[in-house]
Amino acid sequence: MTPAAPAPGERRLSLPPVPRRTVLATGALAGAAALTSASFVDDSARAAYSSPYFLHGVASGDPLAHRVLLWTRVTPEPGATPGSGRGPAVTVRYEVSTDTRFRHLVTSGTVRTDASADHTVKVDAWGLQPGRWYYYRFVHRGVASPVGRTRSAPDYASVPERVRFGVVSCANLQAGYFHAYRHLAARSDLDAILHLGDYVYEYGPGEYGMGPDDVDVRTHVPAREMTTLTDYRQRHAQYKQDPDLQWLHSKYPFIVTWDDHESTNDAWRDGAENHQPATEDTWERRRARAHRAYDEWMPVRMSSTTALGDGTRLFRSLRFGRLAELSMLDLRSYRDEQAAYPIVDATVSRPDRTITGREQMDWLKRAVASREVQWKLVGNPVMIAPVTFAQLPTALLDPVNDVTGLLPRDGSPYNVDQWDGYTDDRRELFTHIRDQGIRDTVFVTGDIHSGWAADLPYDVATYPLGRSAGVELVCSSVTSNNLKDILAARPRTASLGVESVIKLANRHVKYLDFDSHGYSVLDVTSARVQMDWFVTGARDQRNAGSTWATSFQTLAGTNTLRRASAPVGGN
Amino acid sequence: MTEHPQRHEHRGCVPVRRGPSPFLDGDPERERLRPAADRRTFLKVAGAGGAGLLFSAAPGAETAVAAPRTWNRAYVLVVDGCRPDEIDSGLMPNLKALRSSGTTYPAARSLPVMETIPNHVMMMTGVRPDRNGVPANSFFDRALGEERTLDRPGDLKASTLLWWARKHGMTSGTVLSKEYLYGIFGRQATYRWEPRPIVPISGHAPDSFTMDATLSIVERFDPHLVFVNLGDVDRVGHTDLTGGLSLEVLRRTALVTTDLQVGRFVQMLRTTGRWEKSIVVVLADHSMDWSLPHRVISLTRPLAADPFLAGKVEIAQNGGANLLYWTGPASQRQAGVDRMVAIARAQRGVLGVYDRAKVQRQLRLGPEAGDVVVYCQAGWRFSDPNVLSNPIPGNHGHPPTAPIPFFVSGGHPIVRPGSSPLPATTVDVTPTVAKFLGLPFPTGRQAWEGQARI
Repeated sequence: MTPAAPAPGERRLSLPPVPRRTVLATGALAGAAALTSASFVDDSARAAYSSPYFLHGVASGDPLAHRVLLWTRVTPEPGATPGSGRGPAVTVRYEVSTDTRFRHLVTSGTVRTDASADHTVKVDAWGLQPGRWYYYRFVHRGVASPVGRTRSAPDYASVPERVRFGVVSCANLQAGYFHAYRHLAARSDLDAILHLGDYVYEYGPGEYGMGPDDVDVRTHVPAREMTTLTDYRQRHAQYKQDPDLQWLHSKYPFIVTWDDHESTNDAWRDGAENHQPATEDTWERRRARAHRAYDEWMPVRMSSTTALGDGTRLFRSLRFGRLAELSMLDLRSYRDEQAAYPIVDATVSRPDRTITGREQMDWLKRAVASREVQWKLVGNPVMIAPVTFAQLPTALLDPVNDVTGLLPRDGSPYNVDQWDGYTDDRRELFTHIRDQGIRDTVFVTGDIHSGWAADLPYDVATYPLGRSAGVELVCSSVTSNNLKDILAARPRTASLGVESVIKLANRHVKYLDFDSHGYSVLDVTSARVQMDWFVTGARDQRNAGSTWATSFQTLAGTNTLRRASAPVGGN
Repeated sequence: MTEHPQRHEHRGCVPVRRGPSPFLDGDPERERLRPAADRRTFLKVAGAGGAGLLFSAAPGAETAVAAPRTWNRAYVLVVDGCRPDEIDSGLMPNLKALRSSGTTYPAARSLPVMETIPNHVMMMTGVRPDRNGVPANSFFDRALGEERTLDRPGDLKASTLLWWARKHGMTSGTVLSKEYLYGIFGRQATYRWEPRPIVPISGHAPDSFTMDATLSIVERFDPHLVFVNLGDVDRVGHTDLTGGLSLEVLRRTALVTTDLQVGRFVQMLRTTGRWEKSIVVVLADHSMDWSLPHRVISLTRPLAADPFLAGKVEIAQNGGANLLYWTGPASQRQAGVDRMVAIARAQRGVLGVYDRAKVQRQLRLGPEAGDVVVYCQAGWRFSDPNVLSNPIPGNHGHPPTAPIPFFVSGGHPIVRPGSSPLPATTVDVTPTVAKFLGLPFPTGRQAWEGQARI
């Protein structure tokens, strides 16, 4: 593999719109419909690149029936760079309209921001009608931002025919270009984007790149592991200047949660694997900085508000009429430390250890028990399906572990960083689902750089005898290394044996792809939930195509998965 | 604690008959509807295979012809105890096809207590147990001083759709496979099939006989509304010892045979030209949960062991739900309830314990359900007065058994294929059928609580 030119830097990432148009013209999904539907975004992109004030694009998120969160970052003067702490306090106007030319304003107002917020702008745009598309923009000193498009959620009491999400996770900028974001943006049939974590990565150049040699396709800014508030702000700013991500943000509202890399690897309540208190300050302070930057730079309501510094509660629910409720989990802030030795360390099943924390578990149990909606979707940063293994050849153990952490050398059935390492919490949740007669629970998961589809058996040993608590659908990574990357193997060669062994030992696992990068589309109707997996091309090439890999669906009431013959929509 | 050494071993579903019940009110209209052999008119009809089927009918009904008020016909098929996922098991192709041609409600649920009699009563009254007086299969009759089955017409305190249809010039029929269902609905319908032959112990007629009767009542009398209970799936499920091992061998067999009966019914509608003017509402009254022999909860002993409660508590056992009745002085009732709640909550396998009066707005059970409602966890069952009293592995009554299939199918143009996320429940049957038949909806204190699902 030939890496692209190193260190493009955040400004260079946002250079001319030509690459965008090139991408549109050559991308696999750049059909006529996609080009037409994306036209306003192209216009927006040109506005972005010509505007000195809105270099980081626009975004929206957490759609509710009557309001959507709008986000941007204003650069009031050239020196007011992200993380610099410089620049004056300014007022930014926002406008929401039903048309692209802003002739029919629905709501507008002004927002004050300054260096204390890193000049980020977050505002709740109220007064929207449920289930409608809107266009929004920001204006500073008479200069408009790119135009964003967003969609309000259906009314609580409504019965939408469907809701459709793009699903992504694990986008490491150093490991390649964000083809998944671009191909999702090229679609016009989604309602929102579900980002399940690892939106940014903490590593410095050369620490975690593409493949076994950690080649940096692009180089992180700042050029070091992020530990300070300035670091986190600059890293977010760099990602927000990626043109593919900007396009996707401008096209759909995002619903996000964090996993570990928004702070650092294998984070838990009081520490992280990749945190050294002796040289990187206390964990409490480092995590607070990571959370502060996340609050500033992401289109999300932390602690239910757009205000900064008023709390870091990220777990929350979003409702889509009577059809579905999406419960987004935070599985990093409240968890106990990961067990050190999975198979010999009985702590994985100790009832006093938690991955959710008590408050979040009680909230989640209430959410999945809701009688107000049919589908209980759970935005789940790490896998909940139990995974046990027969012994694999030793030669394969380390590479698999590099990607997934699933296979301790002693053959332990646990990945202690996911729900397998906190089995009492999982048992409590599954027992609750069974005891309350809850159906149609779907966990939508990221984290593990591979595509999975699995039933969630109450008893793994006897399955498929016995019943399932629900299903889990796991999207692959946007760019972060998977098994074939670690092995430096050709796709669908070395991984096939591993996948076969895992599926043989885990009959509830219906689909497993250790080799692919890409994205998924989750389509929810009353009759079924279907996830389509799409595979994107070479990470180190600026433009790469996308192909449909497979689809699985769960029919209402069955709590099990079956293969679907074709993907949904696509235009 | 009052001991009842002569109790039957299981009261969850098997009716315990204890003689006639006085009617609890003087409503002359309902008085007219109660079963009385001397006023029944027996109609003998040739059934499938030439066997004679005996129906009872309201006086004059034998000569009646369905009033041409509407050509629409509504059939309610209750696949007793069916789990919604069983229709997707591959063993029930006829039901699956029927569901595919109609509107299905995957979020449908049975209502407390998730037992057969209360949910059939909710289907036909459109109101919850605190209004219809039937909260469970088994209750403690304070007037009689004993536990009994709620199977007497006088137990029913609300008007039924069966009667409402008759009142508005239409005819109705019941083909109910279980004796206690035949009992509770009394003479509400214009035409009633008295279930026979009855399988010993289970107290129900096999589905093949029930379907023979259904076909006959439809073809002979053509009622506007027919209410059918198919009991095999439930009855076989109760006794399937492989259920706790997740094998459900006998149960799966019953799914196949019951599905065949549903296929016969649909075929009859098609061949007789009724399909295009009919809706077929298919649902279950509850689903089913299986327990292993060691997962048994018996509340009799711990309650009797409490000095304050001893001799002052009665238990009505309903499979996965126990109803506790305070029988001590009224002035000590709340203290007694609090003690019962605390003791029941401490038992292994108990899912939830509720002071019924305090959660009246949620449970909607009424005083017949006693003072405390106790649910067991999935995979457990209640067994009182001792751990051997209920040997039946399959049980319901508790929340794990709330999910049910519920769909509105048929050939009438009003039927649309599709799926709805709305949470249909058993009380929705009455307004659904009434709307289809063009019946008026009662208002005020008589108003139905369910939603029409067409």
